[in-house]
Amino acid sequence: MQAFQIHYRNTQGTLMRILNAASRRGLDLHSVQAVAVDRDHQVTLVLEVNQKQVGQLYREWYSIADVTHVRPVAAHGDAWATAHPPAGVSLEDGRSAARA
Amino acid sequence: MLKGAEIVLQCLRAEGVELMFGYPGGAIMPLYDALEDSGIRHVLTRHEQGAVFAAEGYARVTGNVGVAIATSGPGATNLVTGIADAKMDSVPLVCITGQVRSALIGSDAFQETDVFGVTLSLTKWSRLVRSIDEIPEVIAEGFHWARSGRPGPVVIDIPTDMLKAKKEFSGPVKFMPHARPAEAKADGGFTDTIVAMLQQASKPVVLVGAGAKLSGAIPELRRLLDDLKIPAFATVHGLGAIPPQAPYYLGMVGMHGTRAANTALHETDLLLVLGARLDDRVTGDPSRFAPHAKIVHFEIDPAQLDRVRPCDLAVIGDLADTIPAFQAELRHHTLPDFSAWRSVACGPERAELDPRGLAQPTIRFLDELFSRLPENNVILADVGQHQMWAAQRFRSASPRGFITSGGLGAMGFALPAAVGVQLAKPDTCVLCVSGDGGFQMNIQELATVHRLGLPIKLVIIDNKYLGMVRQWQQLFYEKNYAETDLSDNPDFVEIAKAYKIHARRLNEEAMREFPVSAETGDLIDSFLRSHEPELLVFDCHPEANVFPMVPAGAALSEMLLEDEPTQ
Repeated sequence: MQAFQIHYRNTQGTLMRILNAASRRGLDLHSVQAVAVDRDHQVTLVLEVNQKQVGQLYREWYSIADVTHVRPVAAHGDAWATAHPPAGVSLEDGRSAARA
Repeated sequence: MLKGAEIVLQCLRAEGVELMFGYPGGAIMPLYDALEDSGIRHVLTRHEQGAVFAAEGYARVTGNVGVAIATSGPGATNLVTGIADAKMDSVPLVCITGQVRSALIGSDAFQETDVFGVTLSLTKWSRLVRSIDEIPEVIAEGFHWARSGRPGPVVIDIPTDMLKAKKEFSGPVKFMPHARPAEAKADGGFTDTIVAMLQQASKPVVLVGAGAKLSGAIPELRRLLDDLKIPAFATVHGLGAIPPQAPYYLGMVGMHGTRAANTALHETDLLLVLGARLDDRVTGDPSRFAPHAKIVHFEIDPAQLDRVRPCDLAVIGDLADTIPAFQAELRHHTLPDFSAWRSVACGPERAELDPRGLAQPTIRFLDELFSRLPENNVILADVGQHQMWAAQRFRSASPRGFITSGGLGAMGFALPAAVGVQLAKPDTCVLCVSGDGGFQMNIQELATVHRLGLPIKLVIIDNKYLGMVRQWQQLFYEKNYAETDLSDNPDFVEIAKAYKIHARRLNEEAMREFPVSAETGDLIDSFLRSHEPELLVFDCHPEANVFPMVPAGAALSEMLLEDEPTQ
């Protein structure tokens, strides 16, 4: 499991392009957390990824017009303990939880 | 006060747009309504895919940004293949699509498609315009991204109410790029390293890709190659960058590359890659690609590095900067004598260049065509066997002289792209070679050719099959020719006549004698010299194959040289 923090200007589609770099490779997005940081935004992704893909992802993220910085972060801690969305949760489970 | 549509057109003019291709429809009608006084010529194609491929043809041959216009919904989705094509082949392209009016967006309105979402992964940059005030900035920024760095496609989606609305307009704006992260750029230190690598090498080679022509660094490249004098070859998009007469030139490399180029690439111990992204059609099995070589990769787009095989040294930057730096350093050093390696590597290529040694009549035909072309020419190839035959026989030193859909391999590309090329280069002989399958994918653009009176020379290599797929079926699927039979093709000569385009037919039997008969030569000459659009249908043997061929997943050294059992 590898976590990445990507800083970007929150222009149309930039977050989607960042996520697409992972999804087009069939990588499971274990966790996605996007927040505003100062005047920019930051998304933290947790992925199952091999070393070759790490290089590809770095370069592809940097090639997105409004990405300003990419860095790896430690992929541990409570924030990443649970998959997002929780794996194995059915639509009905989700609705039940919402009703509760 | 100007309408949004008028502002769009003024901004396009400010970006240097003189010609654009499109197809009108409901949501984009305000833009068409404002066209007449815009100073921009619009060419109506007969399908939006024709428009985007024509825009690509214009962009590929000029290096300028191509512009395609379509309406919302199906108009926009019909652009998608061209957008993907431009992304793969680094073509500067701006597509402007009409969108349903703002209040209806998201309501599944008539002809509403989320074109921004549909094209997100295919574009370099895109915007859904949300206010008439944004239009100047969006267009300026879109053109910036289309043409900067590694060029690519941009989509600007404009709701129809934005095109109709009015505002005070103070003129087009210039886009000032935002500060980008510090990218690793070649700082000059790389030159020592490459020279040292060359001094330790015994079998160095150079692989040239499209980046050489995109950077405009062809003179610098040729001077460098003349200094190096080591075997050099090109990808399909690098064809024309190296003069074919150069004694070190080995032709095209890759799946259907020359035996000499593929062999040299397999044996080399130092590979200099100049502006090529090393896709799988070039490398074959990546784990066995250039297995003995150190790789130096000159590339403008860091995203293209290490995708297939890690390189030993990356030189990131524009070839127009990095090649002169390298060459300047080179002049301070003496390199080993590579002449023995060069003569070994270049040996087999000479035989492959001699048309008398080519038994295949279609290749002989293409050779004959190409050799009789006026000096000022551009060749387009569609996708399939004829594309590879044409690429193998291309012998021009014109860097933008061979145009094809390489990365995406989009059948139906060539005919509409030829429209864009001919409009950009009215005094050039434009030869468009298609297969019988691909020709029918955008056959409606014959109407565009006729309407504009474009003297495009259209050739169909008619083998009554989807030939490349059939070849794979023959070689790798035990001759199970599933759904590749096109033996009930229409009569293309009659079709062309219905579009008021003169057409004739040539049977491959005419190419069995060498040199060709005076009658055949005259037919080809009169076809090429005509000032009108012309179609020539060449009847090709249904089971003619393209060789050499590197089977998918094989190493370049495992190329098949002729029909032989493979399993």
